[in-house]
Amino acid sequence: MSIFTPTNQIRLTNVAVVRMKRGGKRFEIACYKNKVMSWRSGAEKDLDEVLQTHSVFVNVSKGQVAKKDDLNKAFGTDDLTEICKQILAKGELQVSDRERQTQLETMFRDIATIVAEKCVNPETKRPYTVSLIERAMKDIHYSVKPGKSTKQQALEVIRQLKETMEIQRAHMRLRLVLPAKEGKRLKEKLKPLLQVVESEDFDEELEMVCLVDPGCFREIDELIRCETKGRGSLEVLSLKDVEEGDEKF
Amino acid sequence: MGLTSLEKIIALQRNPANIRNLCILAHVDHGKTTLADCLVASNGIISSRLAGKLRYLDSRQDEQIRGITMKSSAISLHYRHGDQEYLLNLIDSPGHVDFSSEVSTAVRLCDGAIVVVDAVEGVCPQTQAVLRQAWLENIRPVLVINKIDRLIMELKLTSQEAYTHLQKILEQVNAVTGTLFTSKVLEERAEKEKEEEKDSEMSSGKQVYDWSAGLEEADDSHLYFSPDQGNVVFASAIDGWGFSIQQFAHIYSQRMGIKAEVLLKTLWGDFYLNAKAKKIMRGAQAKGKKQLFVQLVLDNIWSLYDAVVTRRDKEKVEKVVTSLGLKVMARDSRHSDPKVLLSAICSQWLPVSQAVLSMVCEKLPSPLDMTAERVEKLMSVGARQFDSLPKQTQELKRAFLQCSSGAVAPAIIFVSKMFAVDTKALPQNRQRPLTQEEIAQRRELARQRHADRMTAEQTATESCTSQEGQLTGHSTGKMESLTLRDSKPEEEEEHKETFIAFARVYSGVVKKGQRVFVLGPKYDPTQGLSMLPEGCSASDCVPEVPHLSCCSMESLYLLMGRELEELEEVPAGNILGIGGLEDCVLKSATLSTSPACSPFTPLNFEATPIVRVAIEPKHPSEMPKLVRGMRLLNQADPCAEVLIQETGEHVLVTAGEVHLQRCLDDLRDRFAKIEISASKPIIPFRETVVRPPKVDMVNEDLGKQQKVAIIHQVKEEASQGRSSDTLLVDPSGLVTLTTPNRLATVSVRAIPLPQEVTHLMESSTELIRTLEHLNMSLREGKSLDVSLRTLEAIAGLKAQLESLLQGRKWRNAVERIWSFGPRRYGPNILLNSVEGYQRPSVWQCLASGDKAGEAGAQAAVIRDFDNSIASGFQLATLSGPMCEEPLMGVCFSVERWDIQSSALPQHQDSLEEDSISHETLADSVVERSTEPSEQAEGTAAGPSQASRRPEAASVDCYGPVSGQLIAAMKEACRHAFQAQPQRLMAAMYTCEIMATAEVLGRVYGVLGKREGRVLHEEMKEGTDMFIIKAVLPVAESFGFAEEIRKRTSGLASPQLVFSHWEVISSDPYWVPTTEEEYLHFGEKADSANQALKYMNAVRRRKGLYVEEKIVEHAEKQRTLSKNK
Repeated sequence: MSIFTPTNQIRLTNVAVVRMKRGGKRFEIACYKNKVMSWRSGAEKDLDEVLQTHSVFVNVSKGQVAKKDDLNKAFGTDDLTEICKQILAKGELQVSDRERQTQLETMFRDIATIVAEKCVNPETKRPYTVSLIERAMKDIHYSVKPGKSTKQQALEVIRQLKETMEIQRAHMRLRLVLPAKEGKRLKEKLKPLLQVVESEDFDEELEMVCLVDPGCFREIDELIRCETKGRGSLEVLSLKDVEEGDEKF
Repeated sequence: MGLTSLEKIIALQRNPANIRNLCILAHVDHGKTTLADCLVASNGIISSRLAGKLRYLDSRQDEQIRGITMKSSAISLHYRHGDQEYLLNLIDSPGHVDFSSEVSTAVRLCDGAIVVVDAVEGVCPQTQAVLRQAWLENIRPVLVINKIDRLIMELKLTSQEAYTHLQKILEQVNAVTGTLFTSKVLEERAEKEKEEEKDSEMSSGKQVYDWSAGLEEADDSHLYFSPDQGNVVFASAIDGWGFSIQQFAHIYSQRMGIKAEVLLKTLWGDFYLNAKAKKIMRGAQAKGKKQLFVQLVLDNIWSLYDAVVTRRDKEKVEKVVTSLGLKVMARDSRHSDPKVLLSAICSQWLPVSQAVLSMVCEKLPSPLDMTAERVEKLMSVGARQFDSLPKQTQELKRAFLQCSSGAVAPAIIFVSKMFAVDTKALPQNRQRPLTQEEIAQRRELARQRHADRMTAEQTATESCTSQEGQLTGHSTGKMESLTLRDSKPEEEEEHKETFIAFARVYSGVVKKGQRVFVLGPKYDPTQGLSMLPEGCSASDCVPEVPHLSCCSMESLYLLMGRELEELEEVPAGNILGIGGLEDCVLKSATLSTSPACSPFTPLNFEATPIVRVAIEPKHPSEMPKLVRGMRLLNQADPCAEVLIQETGEHVLVTAGEVHLQRCLDDLRDRFAKIEISASKPIIPFRETVVRPPKVDMVNEDLGKQQKVAIIHQVKEEASQGRSSDTLLVDPSGLVTLTTPNRLATVSVRAIPLPQEVTHLMESSTELIRTLEHLNMSLREGKSLDVSLRTLEAIAGLKAQLESLLQGRKWRNAVERIWSFGPRRYGPNILLNSVEGYQRPSVWQCLASGDKAGEAGAQAAVIRDFDNSIASGFQLATLSGPMCEEPLMGVCFSVERWDIQSSALPQHQDSLEEDSISHETLADSVVERSTEPSEQAEGTAAGPSQASRRPEAASVDCYGPVSGQLIAAMKEACRHAFQAQPQRLMAAMYTCEIMATAEVLGRVYGVLGKREGRVLHEEMKEGTDMFIIKAVLPVAESFGFAEEIRKRTSGLASPQLVFSHWEVISSDPYWVPTTEEEYLHFGEKADSANQALKYMNAVRRRKGLYVEEKIVEHAEKQRTLSKNK
């Protein structure tokens, strides 16, 4: 064991530890902060920019280097660089501040973009801009949950935003064709699901063009398929009913 | 209201010969408003002591703070010149280039203009601009050379030097006028030549050429400014003095006994006084003598300044004062600031208002003198010749020229702008002292109310003995609360803005409440006259003529700067404000009682709006307020443009940064009254694919080189090997994708479309939309009535596409077009290249009716599937893989598409309900297909393996098949897109810049810095202006106007118009791969990649993943550990 004096010790600063358990043993490597995620996403290609040192530790903070035998047993090789790469790719780590911050920021933006894409101002039938949605999200103090998908959270945000501002999901335009026999009965059932019925044509079969909330699409689809036993049909005319083109005052 | 009463002004308004409509024009900070102040002070509206400091006509707060005028405002002044009384309608205009639109609105209403030039700065860019504007509007200018005091006090010039300096300025101004004149003559000549050419074609016998430019013949002497012509005044508005040669000529002719006429001619110019001979001689400069002007005029002023300001010689000042016969108040002479004394002396000796106003009255035309040429110019819109207008309209010219206020004369009014006034400031709403009677009445009312309340209380305390009494008490209480509630909305209303039209009566008399026609800019009198009955007036008919409407003028105002005075009627030749037009006039309009009147030519603006910002409310819930506010702003500002974009952005377009600031302030404080934020507008991009390049980034042939193995290729290989079990990418770019339930497979290839095809499709989006609409109705078996013209247009489009899509690759492509995208009318094509699959072509509406029936039957079978593929395509084209922006100019060709029917049975077992539906379905298919012939069945059988109804098998864990197919198709398109070399397309502006020769280099510099490309430049004939045409990416245009103005000190004025989409040549995903590229760019290739920069900006904005390190250098982070 080497003597622990100030001259022969190497102090590492800004350490991010990546750990991995393999073969009943815990292995650690010392990396730079804010770099591991970039490596994993492929943005950082230089390994030396990620690793503080190519050695594999049992405990980084104590400076205990892993034994060669253990490495051989666990990884089947003693090529330290190769092992470091494996640990980097699969090990667990404490996400550092800026990584977390950028991740949350991106997710926040992503949610705002999804909301802006899906929603319109019901008065003008025009979408809101992303920056406006972002501001509204900040106003209602929405906090991003990193574990949930952005799409799910976007739907949640829409629900919350409805309380503070005029916002609504852009309607889908659907065409329903129902056989005459079930037409009337089915229409009653469908009524609560349809927002606006744009046209209705009842001769041999009932044909309706209507605007619905995209959330109800599955339900309507299900209903029509089951009730008419496949004779009714459903066609999506447009996914988003929004005003198009620029408008000059 | 000052010294002149309203009655007096009304009386003066009736005499058009003594009316002068004029405006003050100049470069920014040359002293327009100060001069106006002096003129206003002469009428006693403000104190002459404050003149020049108050800036009375700058009524806005920000105008006062910034010290620049931002709007044109009018004031009516009274002036007695000799034995005549004049009414001067003075309009002060802003000098800043951003507000040149306000100048245009002012110039249009005037007959004359005072052009102010700073004696130190001389002719500036805006001076040129206003001279040009005055020239274009055909109004006569007079010149005021201002700030002569600066020559004395700041530059410390001697009187001799000052004279040469003034002479130079005059020459500069005249040079500008000269170029305007020559360019006009040349233009006329060019036109004439054109006509002559036409003539000579007809009669080619004449072979005489005339090479004189026409300049020699045209007389231009009357155009120029010269003191001896009496159209120049030398002034110092801040010190309150100004003079014209006439004044001094008058003084000295008395004192020295020389004839005034002689002095008038010799006072300006190279003349000197020979004291011995008592003669005025020519050639002062050659003989080294003082010019007459210097000796008699400037020396006096110089010595006065010397005595009062520099040396503060009390005795001498007194001597001067007494010799001039002036009286100076003791207060002024004792004042510590010599400027006060100076202006006290000067404003009595040579009052600037006197000099300027007498020049105005003498030299500027009255409304009666309007030239026939100007009338014709005003009345002939666009390229239309005046002679081609209907007869009645031409007759109106006489009304113009006569400017008569008779009852028979038709009223013609031009509204040049609308401006907002606080409703409270209107004279009707102004608080006035109550008369004795009213006070008494109110007191009576109050007393009664009090009594009522007392009785009510009494009855209440008498404890419901009389039910009725209580009831009345109740009701009065209720009444009061009601009245209280009523008053509240009124209060709110008081904060509202009222729009007043800034207008001038050209003919006839305008009365309060009169109904008039409002003529839009596109109104055609020929059409109007034919559609309206003879002799109808605006009051009795509801016109259905396009661009014509009716309205009544609810109130008329006299504009008095900040104040308005209500009027009952206004005769011709006057400037007025009209209330109650806000619903029918947007920004400017022509009003007339005669439908024969043609609308006036639109105002010509020197600067077009180019600074774009997106505006948002601070609180998202205040959106409606913002929209309302922006509407008001749009009406109140002649130059600002407001629009809602497809992205939902509210965009404000202004002429410049200062103008923008004013608009934002207006929105915040007056129109919307909410917190707003302005930001860079969202810049749209398009994504496209191109043909694989033949050469690399250093122009080396790609084929011959060896690719260097590098780290980057690790990634590429990964992307090559991404073909998972459902996705397969073959090297030729064909992508095959299977749906998650393994039922359907699609193979798609992306092909770049030729540029012309993209252009064609983009220009004919409307047509494609109607086409799509037709197809939709056809598929349902309905037939829609289509006009023959539309069908022809569609056929034309098809033929054009066919001619453009030539070659082996595109054989029969037009027939096979499946759909356009995104949104079914965009510039991308879905091509049906599936063998053996026939579907109704998009051109089916062109076919005859019998075929349509067959298509309808067929459509019933394939409808669902067809739609899924098309929907997938629509989704893919709406947002591309690079940065989720729409695609453009990409053709997706579906090469294989099948659905494995083998998967069906097992599902049938599992869901008996489904099997039933399957059977019934089969029945229905048979039922339907009985009607059409065998042949239809055959075609239906062709795609049968592909088009077995999806509903049957749809209930599995992945959702309905149609949905899966949409997703699969979308993914396939995206991968196919990525398999080709991808490029970003940027929106481009065409940019037209007018610049003088000396700043040409700087203009090029700014353009180059912002990735602009110069297309061509040419010199405008007869001037020293160059016209440069360039293209500039929209992404680089933010702040462009500001930069180019700064760099060229305002000598270049750009105009930006969106023109087209352009492929950015660099590949956003490019990394050096060949040896040469390595040598040239290095391993990291960190020289700027424009496309990558744009792409990452968009991705970051949208919250998409950006391949970018959080920290560039690991070692360079801040060390956070405390120990060591």
